[in-house]
This record gives sequence, C-alpha cells and structure tokens, in this order.
Amino acid sequence: MSLISDLIYFENPAIWDSFGGTSSGLGGLTWQMFIWSVVVGVLVIVWLIYNLIYFRHKEGDPEPKDALKAGVFPHERGDVKIELTWTIAPLILVAWLTFLSLAPLDYMWDIPDNEDADVTVEVTAGSWYWGFEYANGYVKPEEFTKCSSNINCLEVPANSIIRFNITAQDVLHAFYLPDMGIKQDAVPGLDTATWVDTGIVSARDEPYRIYCTEYCGNSHSMMLAEIYVTEVNDA
Amino acid sequence: MLRSKAIGIGILLSIIFAVTAVPTGETNPGGIEPSISTLVEANGCSCHNVGDGDMNNPNSEVILNLTMPSNFTAGETYTLILNISGGPNDIAPMVEGPNMGGFMLKASSGVLTPINDNVWKPADASYLTHTEDGNNLREWSFNWTAPDSDSIVTSFMVYGNSVNGNAKDPTDNAGNSGDYWNSATFALAGKNAQIAEGGAHGELSGPKKVVYGFGIVFITLAVVVVGYRMVDQDESFEEVMKSYWKWIYPWLTTTDHKYIGTLYIVTGFAWFFIGGVLGLLIRWQLFEPRVDGDFLTYQEYNSTFTMHGTTMIFMAAMPIIFGFANYLIPLQIGARDLAFPRLNSFGYWLLPTGGIVLYMGYFTGGAGDVGWTGYAPYSSGASATRPGTDFWVAGQLMLGASSTLTAVNFLVTMLRMRAPGVTLMKMPLFAWSILVTVFLLLLSIPVFTVALILLMADRTFGSLYFSGPDSDPILWQHLFWYFGHPEVYIVILPAFGVLSEIISTFSRRPIFGYTSMVYAMATIGIISFVVYGHHMFTTGADPLFRFIVMLTTMLVAVPTGIKIFNWLATMTGGSVVLNTPMMFSLGTIITFTIGGITGIILASIPLDIAFHDTYFVVAHFHYVLIGGTMFSFIAGVYYWFPKMTGKMMNERLGIIHFATTFITFNAAFYPMHNVGISGMPRRYATYDASLTELNQFISIFAILFGLAQLIFVYNVFYSYRNGEKAGDNPWNGWSLEWATSSPPPENSFIEIPTLLDAEEEAKKSE
Repeated sequence: MSLISDLIYFENPAIWDSFGGTSSGLGGLTWQMFIWSVVVGVLVIVWLIYNLIYFRHKEGDPEPKDALKAGVFPHERGDVKIELTWTIAPLILVAWLTFLSLAPLDYMWDIPDNEDADVTVEVTAGSWYWGFEYANGYVKPEEFTKCSSNINCLEVPANSIIRFNITAQDVLHAFYLPDMGIKQDAVPGLDTATWVDTGIVSARDEPYRIYCTEYCGNSHSMMLAEIYVTEVNDA
Repeated sequence: MLRSKAIGIGILLSIIFAVTAVPTGETNPGGIEPSISTLVEANGCSCHNVGDGDMNNPNSEVILNLTMPSNFTAGETYTLILNISGGPNDIAPMVEGPNMGGFMLKASSGVLTPINDNVWKPADASYLTHTEDGNNLREWSFNWTAPDSDSIVTSFMVYGNSVNGNAKDPTDNAGNSGDYWNSATFALAGKNAQIAEGGAHGELSGPKKVVYGFGIVFITLAVVVVGYRMVDQDESFEEVMKSYWKWIYPWLTTTDHKYIGTLYIVTGFAWFFIGGVLGLLIRWQLFEPRVDGDFLTYQEYNSTFTMHGTTMIFMAAMPIIFGFANYLIPLQIGARDLAFPRLNSFGYWLLPTGGIVLYMGYFTGGAGDVGWTGYAPYSSGASATRPGTDFWVAGQLMLGASSTLTAVNFLVTMLRMRAPGVTLMKMPLFAWSILVTVFLLLLSIPVFTVALILLMADRTFGSLYFSGPDSDPILWQHLFWYFGHPEVYIVILPAFGVLSEIISTFSRRPIFGYTSMVYAMATIGIISFVVYGHHMFTTGADPLFRFIVMLTTMLVAVPTGIKIFNWLATMTGGSVVLNTPMMFSLGTIITFTIGGITGIILASIPLDIAFHDTYFVVAHFHYVLIGGTMFSFIAGVYYWFPKMTGKMMNERLGIIHFATTFITFNAAFYPMHNVGISGMPRRYATYDASLTELNQFISIFAILFGLAQLIFVYNVFYSYRNGEKAGDNPWNGWSLEWATSSPPPENSFIEIPTLLDAEEEAKKSE
C-alpha cells in the first residue's frame, strides 16, 4: 500500500463496512458522517475562495460606505433571515447525525446477558498484561490450539456473540479491538462489559490486535494482546 | 579596578559552577530502570499474581541477595549465588512441594551461563531464569564471565518471586494467586573501575541532554555577549552588568499592563518553543517503531508527552491569551490600566515560577508521567514518577492560582472601567471573548484546584480519595473534565475574538452580525459546562449521562457554525486586503473547520467508541488548538505588533511563514486521522510496523513545521529593528486601541477617549 493511497483511504474495514453491526454502506453512520463532513468542509472552502476572488481590494476601489474608523463603533451589519438560516441548518444537520447515531448506539449498548452470549470471557487488565478466562463453564473446543496461555492471548469462535466482562486490578486500562471497533475502559473495582459479534470479521490464522488505550504507566505501549477468531465445526 | 574585575569574574564563574552543579543533586526514586524488552522484564513476575495481591508493585517483604566477589578482573569467570527470603513462602513453607520460588536475572555486561539443571538461559536471550526443576528452590547458582574491560561497573538486575505453592491445585488459575515478587539491583565494580560521583546514574537521558544542551548554549551566549561588551566598549564588568540591570529592572518590577502583557506573550512563546521541542522528541521517537530505550525509554517518553501537553495548554496557550488580553483589554475599553495592577503582576510572576516547578521533575529522576489529564488512580498511586508528579501537581496549582487572579482582574476591569461610550454591547469582539473566558475560568478552575489538592493529599499524606478500596476511580475524571472541557473553550474563545477583529478590519467593513457573534460566544460558554462527559464515553459511566452529553456536544456545532458563517459573510461584500494577519486568519478558518468537523464525528458515541484515545483524537485537538488557537494568535502578533512596537512586520517574511506553516501543519497532522482510524492508540511509544511509512511522513513534516516557526522568530526580531514605521492606525481598525499612538504612551491614553456611534459620528461630521 503506497503512501498516497494510505492518505486518501482511511483503511480500517471495521469502520467502513460493518461498523457496529448495523446498516453499513452509504446509509451507515460512518459514510453519512464522512459525506456531510466533506459537504460542510467544501462549502466553507468554496465560499472562502469565492470571497477572495470577487471581493478583493483593488487599487482605486472606493471606500465602502460603512468603512471602519478608529474610535467609532461601526454600524451593525446583519440580516436576521440569513442568520436564522445558518442557525437552523446546522441544527437540522446535527439532529440528523445524532438520529443516525441512535441505532448503532442502541445496538452497542444492548449487551447480551451472560447466558445469552455464545461465549462469555472474563477479561482482567493488569499492568501490563491482559488475562482472559472463559466463564459459564464454556468448554474450549478442540479447534482452539493457537493460544499457549490465557495471558495476552484469546481464542474465540467465528460467527458468535462474545461478551466481555472487564475489570482492572490496579489502574485504568482500556480494552480496544481496533479491527472490530470495540473499546471499553477497564476500571479497578468496577465491572464493565462490552460485546462483539465475530461475524463481522473473517476467521483466519493470524490474530487480530488487542490494545490498551488508557494510559497506564511505563509499559502502556507494550500492553498488547492477540485475539484469534477460529472456525468451530460443531457450533 | 583590577580587584572589582576579579570579583566580577569570580561571581560569573561561581554562577556557572552553580548551574552545572545543580543536576548532580539528583535522586533516583524509581531505582535504576531495567531495560524493558519483553513482557516478563516489563512486569517483573506480575503474571504470578493474577487474582489478588498488589501485583503491580514489587513487595518489600521479599528479600533478594546476590553473593558475589568484591570486584572482578577482565575475562575471569565467577560463580554467583542468588537467594530469596521472605514473602508467602516464609509464612507457609512448602518443604516438600514444588513451586517455592523463581527468578530472572540479567547483567549489564559480561556473559551469564547456567551450571546446572535448575537454571537455564532462553534461546537468543541474555538473561537467566529458573527451570521447572529450579522452581522448587530458593537459591540458585550460576556462572558469570566478566567483560573484557575491568574499568567498568556491571549491574545485575534481579527479579525474585516468593511463591505459596498453590499451583499444585490444577483447578482454574489459582496457581498464580498470593505470590509476591520483588526486584533488586546489584553493582559489581571492575578492579580498575573509577567510581565517579553520580556515575551510577549512567548516561544522560534524551530530554536531559536537551535541557543541558540549551543550558550550555545559554551560558556560552551570556559569556560571549558580556565579554564582547567588556572588550569592545571597554566597559568594566560592573558597568556592563549595571547597564543590563537598568534594562531588566523595569521588567522585573513593572505593574504596567503593557509591560506585563508583553512579558506574558514572550513567556508564552518561550514555553511554546520548549513544548515544541518536546513535541519533536515525541515525533522522533515515533519515526519508526522503536523498542524501549532506542531513543527515549518508555518512562522518558511518558514524561515527554505529559510535559508537552501541560506546557502547551497551561504555559503556552493560556499565557499568550492573557498576554494579548493584558495588552489590549485596557486599550480596547479605553482604560489606563487594569483594575488591580499589582495583582496583575503577581499573577504573571506565578506563571514562570509554576512552570519551573513543573519542570523540576526533570532534575529529580523524571518529570511527571501521568499525561496532561493526570488520570487517577495511576496519578495517585505509587508507580507515577516521584517526585516528578508531585512537582507536576504543585506547578498546576500555581498556574491555576495565576489564572484565577488574572480572571478576577479582567472581570472587574471590564465591568467597571469602560470609557464613555463603551457599553457592553459596543465592546470589540476580542474584549467580549475575554469576558466570556474569564467567567469560564472563574467557574471551572476551583474544581480543578480541589481535584489537585485531593490528588496531592493522596500522593503525599496517604489519603484515599482516588485509590482506596471504597473510592471511585472515575471521580477524578468528573472533576478534571468539569474543568478540562471549559478549559479548551477558554483557549479557543479568545481566538474567535482575534479572528473577528482581523477579518472585519481586513474586509474593511463591520463584522456581520455583531450581536449574534456575542450571543454565540456566550452560548458556547454556557454549553461548555454541560458537555464534559464526552471525554468519558468509554468509561462505563451512567448511559443516560453519556447520552445527554452526546446531545449537548452536538449542539456546540450550532454557535460555532454561526461564527464561521458570520466571518465568511463579513468578507462577502467587503473589500478584502490580503496581508499576513488576514492570511493566517483565513488559514485558521479552514483548519479550525476541519477540527470542528472531527469534533462532531467524535461527539457521536458509536464513532467515539472506535476513535477514543487513538490518533484520530490527537489529530482533532491539534487541528483546533494549533489550527485554531495558535494560528489566530500568530495572526494576532502580525496584527498588533505595529501597535505594540510602532514598527510594521516584514510582509514578505510573513507570507513565507504563512505558506510554510500552513502546508507543513496540514501535512503533519492530517495523516494522524488515518493513523488513528487504523487503530494506533495515542500515548504509545511504539506502534504496529505497518504504519511506519505514515508515521515517518508525519514526523518529517512535524520537524519542518517546527523549523518554519524560526522564520517567525526571525521576522519578529528583524522587524523590531528594521521594520517600517507604523502609524497609529496602520490597518484602519475601529476599536479604541487604534485611537492611541503606536506604541501607546506610558499611561496608555493621554486623554480618556470617548467611543462614538456610527450615527453620532455621521451627525458630527455633517
């Protein structure tokens, strides 16, 4: 991947394609945000350039009637209708974007109960490692062979609902799966939870990444773990 | 005469000696850092403590001892013995059982070799650790071959683990619980080693080198300048010092708002330079995915981004804003000075003092490493640098006091000391932005001060506000962001004020929608207190709280949008003159709009969950803080420099400065969005190798961005000496500062001016 295409295409399939498991593509939140960002950005830049082309001061231009004078408070310029337009238009736009955020938000916050999830994983964050344990007496299928320990390595079945119960031992950490768009702080003395549908990523031999994204001290940048998504037959 | 010269030189020498001697008073509170390259080395034996116990920290009950000769000869092989006592194994000795203890040992030089089955050396590793056989022991022996030179000191870094033996129980994970570990360092000197003072601390670290480097440059310059004058002007040392003293004395004792304003601005830009150097250290660390200690150690990296953030917000942006406010508010409202000039002076002097306190950490074993947000319980715990983080807290308290005093001063001045004709709704928009800002300051800083005092109590008196068993670790975030979010509007609102002034002046027409601009700023100020929760979307705080905060955050876009559209409308139908201040202002509109748009993206909780604490956020706040605040205040320097000095700034240098700054800024910070979306977390000292290319691109342009600012520095000095003479009103502005001379007289206005209305003015001239 060359540098140029890196710059143009924000590469992270999780964000673009199957973000949050709700409507993807042009109707999805990410694309709508992107489209409206470009619309607003282009509007501002085009208007700016238009001003610079058509309203530049040239030699010999007459002074505007209400030109500024030191020590004189200038005439109020303005137009209520125009100002109301650009008060209400952004209001409608952000209302629309907020509305679009509701469905994925509802989806994300609707965390399945321990019993309803296919697999529940107890995640323990410590400085600086991740500990994983299957809960609810989940029996590890025989296909799971990639992790040699339950520290910094987790294997989960493909096309399943995985619930993570997260807690921390010492300071704040954050459980981040960049390829699946999931992030949840790990707080000492508090149990937080998040979940993911592994159907949004493909089963493969290489691991997906797990990062710690809440600053937790010296080796914060080395608090990495791996999550393998493996096809399981009898499921 | 000769005698006084000798005394003078003696004093100079002793100052130089004192300056160089200070750093040797260093302590090493964290002990000598091990080089951390693998997880085991990073964590000690913490994987043995899953379940309970204080696994993060070593336990002092565990005592390690290494038996070794008194010194070593080059190339010789010695047998060393390591033993462990104390810890859970002492309390419940497992006489027959396996799993009594374990260790890991590495040497800074020489070669370690196992001599029996109890000890082994992993392939490709340089350290030793126990085998499964050696698990049952509390004492291990092994060989160490000394390095080729015996004029050095070898240090042995040992991790020892005292184990309670419950690993025999194969159910679940109990094997690791209740075990304690400790680490220790042993130094073994070679026969011919010179044990120098402070030699045990080893080489200077990266940031220290920079600090010392600048110190040396500064002292050399001082000696050269003083010496040159002594030789060239044939003045005695005393005379030289006297003439400098005469020059510096008014600056040290002034209560004049113009002098203090200048001091603030200069101090702010000086800290901006230091913070910028720290930022470039960060970028150099991220030039390629480095491991610990390649350039900066992780500890140093953490201190670097902490000090970078703290410096830029509290010691660069805020002082620059206060500087302009100090200089301009009395002039704009037609007052001779601020209401409390001595309070103003006190407020200023707290700033460099607080800054120095913050930086003291660098001389005491590592500056604060808690991030500019200082999240508890890490910041209240033992693992944050000590006393670096204590200095960080103390310095922040002083800076907070400075801001509060200044805010009170401005509030009183603006409400009570306006010249005739200057009603509230006829104040220039810059004055309005400062008025809103001081309200925000007065309402938010006390909360931060309280939080800092609680944190300081936790750190120094052992109270448990943030890290006790019954305390709430999220509490700090509520307190901090209740202050922290208004704080970011505190630094952006005055920038809006500056932009409004410049855009109106250079369009040569009144601002479009003055009234709605004022209301928009006031609205932003009010909303800023109810949006802070958007920094906490991933914490697990109450969902209703997070949801409401998402709505209010989205609302901020409305008044901000009004401002941007009003600026553009001001230009439409105007007569736009494109000088450097205007160019920077228009550049700001573009970069700030981008920063504002990413702000909306981050306000949507589902997207924020993906982007929170990644480089996307870093890109966002650099776009609003550099692309918004710094750009508009650089525009402010170009705009008000003629008023402050009576000289115009060089236009050609200004245009070059703008072009290079704008291009390198966008090239450096725009790709951070991409890096962030690809999942690179912020505050990481290293990253996934697949992002190397983009990070190198960013680093190169960040360095160029830094270099481009040197043009600005040069322009300021050059124009100060050689600039064309500026009249009283070089840009044809309307507000009262343009009605006085450039630079303003000692008392700011010879005669208190009266602000006329456009209608009154028209009648008068008829």
